[in-house]
Amino acid sequence: MPLRFNLADCTGCKLCQLACSAVHDGVFNPEKARLKMTHEYNKDGIKIRSSSCIMCGKCEEACPTGGIRSNGRWMVVDNDKCNACGACVEVCPTNILYLDSNNNTIICDLCGGDPECIKWCPKDVITLWEKEPKK
Amino acid sequence: MVPEGCNYTLGKGAEKMSVDMNSKVSSFFGKMLVVNLTTGKIEDKELPREWVDLYTGQKGLGSRILMEDFDVETDPLSPENRVILTTGIMTGTIVSCSAKLAMTTKSPQTGTISDGSVGGHIGAELKYAGYDAVMITGKAPELSYLHIDPDTKEIRGIPEFKGLGTFDTEDKLKEITKDEKLKVLAIGPAGENLVPFSCVSSERYRQLGRGGMGAVMGSKNLKAITIRGWLDVGVADIKKCMEMSMAAHIEDGVIDPENEIYTHGTSILVNYSQESGLLPTKNFSEGRFPEYENINGEAFKAVRLNKKACFSCGIACGNYVKDGDAVVEGPEFETIALCGSSIGVGSRAEIIRMNAVCDDLGIDTISAGGTIAFMMEATEKGLHDFGIRFGEAEKAYKYMEDISFRRGIGEEASKGSKWLAKKYGGEDYAINVKGMELPGYDPRGSWGMGMAYVSAPRGGCHMTAYPVGEEAWGTLDPFTFEGKGKLVADMQNSQFVKFSMGVCDFWPISDETIGSLYEVTAGGEWPAEKVYAVGERIFNLQRMFNVMLGFDRREDTLPGRFYKEILKEGPPKGHPMTKEAFDNAMSEYYSYRGWDERGRPTLKKLKELGIEAKLVKAYSVKTGIQV
Repeated sequence: MPLRFNLADCTGCKLCQLACSAVHDGVFNPEKARLKMTHEYNKDGIKIRSSSCIMCGKCEEACPTGGIRSNGRWMVVDNDKCNACGACVEVCPTNILYLDSNNNTIICDLCGGDPECIKWCPKDVITLWEKEPKK
Repeated sequence: MVPEGCNYTLGKGAEKMSVDMNSKVSSFFGKMLVVNLTTGKIEDKELPREWVDLYTGQKGLGSRILMEDFDVETDPLSPENRVILTTGIMTGTIVSCSAKLAMTTKSPQTGTISDGSVGGHIGAELKYAGYDAVMITGKAPELSYLHIDPDTKEIRGIPEFKGLGTFDTEDKLKEITKDEKLKVLAIGPAGENLVPFSCVSSERYRQLGRGGMGAVMGSKNLKAITIRGWLDVGVADIKKCMEMSMAAHIEDGVIDPENEIYTHGTSILVNYSQESGLLPTKNFSEGRFPEYENINGEAFKAVRLNKKACFSCGIACGNYVKDGDAVVEGPEFETIALCGSSIGVGSRAEIIRMNAVCDDLGIDTISAGGTIAFMMEATEKGLHDFGIRFGEAEKAYKYMEDISFRRGIGEEASKGSKWLAKKYGGEDYAINVKGMELPGYDPRGSWGMGMAYVSAPRGGCHMTAYPVGEEAWGTLDPFTFEGKGKLVADMQNSQFVKFSMGVCDFWPISDETIGSLYEVTAGGEWPAEKVYAVGERIFNLQRMFNVMLGFDRREDTLPGRFYKEILKEGPPKGHPMTKEAFDNAMSEYYSYRGWDERGRPTLKKLKELGIEAKLVKAYSVKTGIQV
């Protein structure tokens, strides 16, 4: 049940990333968010990209200890099994999975099924994959 | 998006949120980076909490930092002048529209104190780098840039960047640092060549536009400032911060999809101004532009590719537009008015191109357009042949380039309309206040706006108060001065504290909401009266700076055209605005502010406002004001 993005309507405000870091880390820090939006100018015009967990399962395959697995809706990290080897980070195709400064593996948990990023997006860019995006 | 009328509550994910109601965490760090480009010394300095309580952040804090042990007579282009960057109190948090970065300095264009703010993402980036403020003095031995991130603060030479436009400067800095996320403030050739209305660009199309900030950086050999940050910003109460922010975003229409600032952006004002007969046309000789439909909100919307927001902004005023090969984020209303109708250009593509040319060269579109409009009128009136007439867009680009490189006709034109009028005559038509060209609202269609222009500390500016909204497009009579002294002063006070919090103009936020958001982010108790008092205090602080330099009511006046000529079309027709009436209105304004008849703050007023005794004393000594 990954997040999906209607990038044409994204304005690059980063309210989604701010909400994400707030509910998970208790601080505002877009670098800590479990999704990342890029909305920048370059020589060719404007570049808009999203990066988030696509539920591809590569991290689960790569994990040597069974410390990360899918619950069918999002990826769950078992901190007792995780030894912070970083194998999952290496294989993550969207570069969204990371180890924090305490060596915890950080990945989107869809806020337990009620994602804050969706609520905070002012332009309805983000939806859950299972739903048709709102017009 | 949370639907309208819905009470927002944090979702399941927030269960893990640690909440400490007695938290001492604040979104204000109390940290300033102090850089001396001459000696190369870079150090952290603690900011007194008292300054923040008195003046909050952004323009208020910037003004206070500038005035600490500063000789107001300092030459704006000397190494002793200061470039001060300040974030808002709520910058870096989830509070919408709160991430603007201010630059404060002494202006080479007006000789006054001057501050401006830039949107985009660089304000938040500075906060995430760990700083509320940066103060830069001195002069680097060669063209350089200053890099700031949590681990590294460095001055790095880039002599090979000489003459580069702001777009290339930004791209190349990202290339050499191999960091796409780098946020940049850059000057173009105009800033390097010390043009008094050169600006500072960020993310290509966002500007610290007014007052010649680019020249101040240029005089320091400072081509750019690059910033990256990844540190946390904590707040006093994160749960309340989120709930109150969401409620305010909904109640104040910030995330309303019908908000015109979102649907069109500021170009929506072209129709309003045309209707009200105050759209600057041919150097303010007329108030209606026959070709306005080619350059109004709908026209620019038709060529829009994307919307773009600043950091944490739920509105998204930015419009990325493309017409043929002309591309820009913009143009804002002021650019359309000053580089369009006021120079007699009614072409969408030409305005887009001129906007991009100015951004890349690093000059202010308002002053550039205003100066060129003066040259056009002077030529047509036979005052002096500047070789350019109304409607000549192609020549206008060339003049913008010549101004930026100070070559040929640009050498004199770069000094602005006031200087040109002094030399060649036509002072009534040099549309400026204190040497700064006026933005896009003819004061004859909104008399309060005229008062706002002349009393703005940084010169002819529309950002300190916006009575045009109440007069031309609201319920107040635009053609009377009755009650306008109070209106303008009250608006200025509210705007000053709003900006000092880092909040953007486009959020119609109340002092109450500002206060409650202050409490949950930076902490403390902030009833609305205390918030309002901050705005009045900062306004007076900036006026003190100017009065110490000898500015008083003599400079608080409009160009002669506005008193001598009556607009012939639309609502302003048949409403002469006399100099005598204007002067009387200003006397009322000064009196409401508690200033003397010359427009100078009294010591009594300054003490009442709680401005520190040390500053009041310096003011008294310098001005000779005793009471």
